[in-house]
Amino acid sequence: MATDSAAAAGKFAVTRLPPGVYGVLGVLVTGALLWSLAPEAGSRGETLARFVEWSPALAHGFAMNVLISIGAIFIGTVIGLLAGALAMSASFPGRLARLWIIAFRNAPWLVLIYFTTYVFPFEIHAFGITVPFPDWLKVTLGLALPASANIAEVFRGAVASIPSAQWEAAASLAFSRWQILGKIVVPQCVRRMLPPWMNVYAIITMGTALSSLVGIHDLLDTAQIASSTVARSSFTVLTYVATLVIFFAYCYPISWLTRSFEKRLRTA
Amino acid sequence: MDALLHGFITATARLGLDYRFLLDDYERVPFVQGLGVSIEIILSTMTASAIAGLVLLLALRGRNRLVAGLARGFIEVTRNTPTLVQLYCAFLVLNMLITQWLRARGIDNPFKPFFWVVLVLSLHKAAFHAEALRAGFDALPSQTLEGAASLGFSRATRFWRIELPLALRAALPALVNNMVELVKASAVASAIAVGDVTYQSIMIWTQRDNVLALMLLILAFFGVLTWMVTLAGRWLERRYRIPGYGY
Repeated sequence: MATDSAAAAGKFAVTRLPPGVYGVLGVLVTGALLWSLAPEAGSRGETLARFVEWSPALAHGFAMNVLISIGAIFIGTVIGLLAGALAMSASFPGRLARLWIIAFRNAPWLVLIYFTTYVFPFEIHAFGITVPFPDWLKVTLGLALPASANIAEVFRGAVASIPSAQWEAAASLAFSRWQILGKIVVPQCVRRMLPPWMNVYAIITMGTALSSLVGIHDLLDTAQIASSTVARSSFTVLTYVATLVIFFAYCYPISWLTRSFEKRLRTA
Repeated sequence: MDALLHGFITATARLGLDYRFLLDDYERVPFVQGLGVSIEIILSTMTASAIAGLVLLLALRGRNRLVAGLARGFIEVTRNTPTLVQLYCAFLVLNMLITQWLRARGIDNPFKPFFWVVLVLSLHKAAFHAEALRAGFDALPSQTLEGAASLGFSRATRFWRIELPLALRAALPALVNNMVELVKASAVASAIAVGDVTYQSIMIWTQRDNVLALMLLILAFFGVLTWMVTLAGRWLERRYRIPGYGY
């Protein structure tokens, strides 16, 4: 047993640097190789200059991804908690909530994004005023649907991890079901829900790349425009590798944090 | 058959859904072909991802530190970047470079969009399979492993005959979940104009403006597929249940 833990400690010391760092180094090396191999006339310095020229547009594009992801996780969390709580009851709304969760967990995200983009109107007339309904908001809603279904499941899982004896004990103290949920169960769930919730957020952020397919000027769309405008092979390599690295740099720390929270929860 | 189709179209038209494209051969045939292409993509990707996932797992558990580190890095990059970006990196960058390189030598590029979709989706899901299997290996009871070692089985025999069958069973729910995700993810094929069902539907609704009708059809198609994968998974779980474990 003692040798086991020593070996584990030794292994830990070797892999102290997160493995993703090696991964991203691999991507950069491959990218550099392709970049130097890309056949074309003209200098590589020119390519770099063009990339610097385009970098503000790429940054602006990524800001759109972040905006959509934050909006989607916010709306998704509100709907998801509601649906998750409702899904626990045997009533008719409870059945509807379960249907909601099953439907949006099993639908391809891309199809949902097409759905909200093309089916919703581009502006809403209500009470005599016209409110524009921009495409980025539609995509946000399209991603909020599967997010809500996933968060409902996260909520259900967290509630299921609370011993049912607590419900019975609280009920014997004359708490109502909603009171037990709100005052006893949920406060204990928040800590357990944090890692899977962050996981959902990282997945949603990766899903925002799909918005480029419905014409949102996000990072990937900007990369496409840039590569077809500049029309140099080495620039194309550089732009897409940069896109990959930017998404990784945003999502990897989140998943790394998620794992460390999970580890802390397990030991606590 | 025709009467049934007409009945369906008039009935749905009353609900405001336009399925008239089913009467037009120029639209119905590609749509039905699209259904076939989607199923082809899904089946090829399932097979390829299972093989690639096993290879990744072998790399992870192998004695070679460098290979294990590379596999680990690959998994992290794959899990933390969008599939669509990976697809573009493969199709718009790698494929472009290959095409240019071959054109300079007067050869046509043999790799079609279908190949790239299956390749990227397989490698993407392989990373998830490898993670699920790794968790399965971590869950193996140490007594079993020590028992196998003390009976003099070689390292390879232990892996193939004892560890892998048990780990596969432990990882089965996670693997089935990955397969369901794979079915859903196959819709990104439409992004590089593989003629799958999503792509054909886009072609039809840009002509007819009947997005909702087609959308319901696609959702039903994917719903049936994910449901079938889930059923198959449940059957496998029952079939390969370890007696004395679980419920």
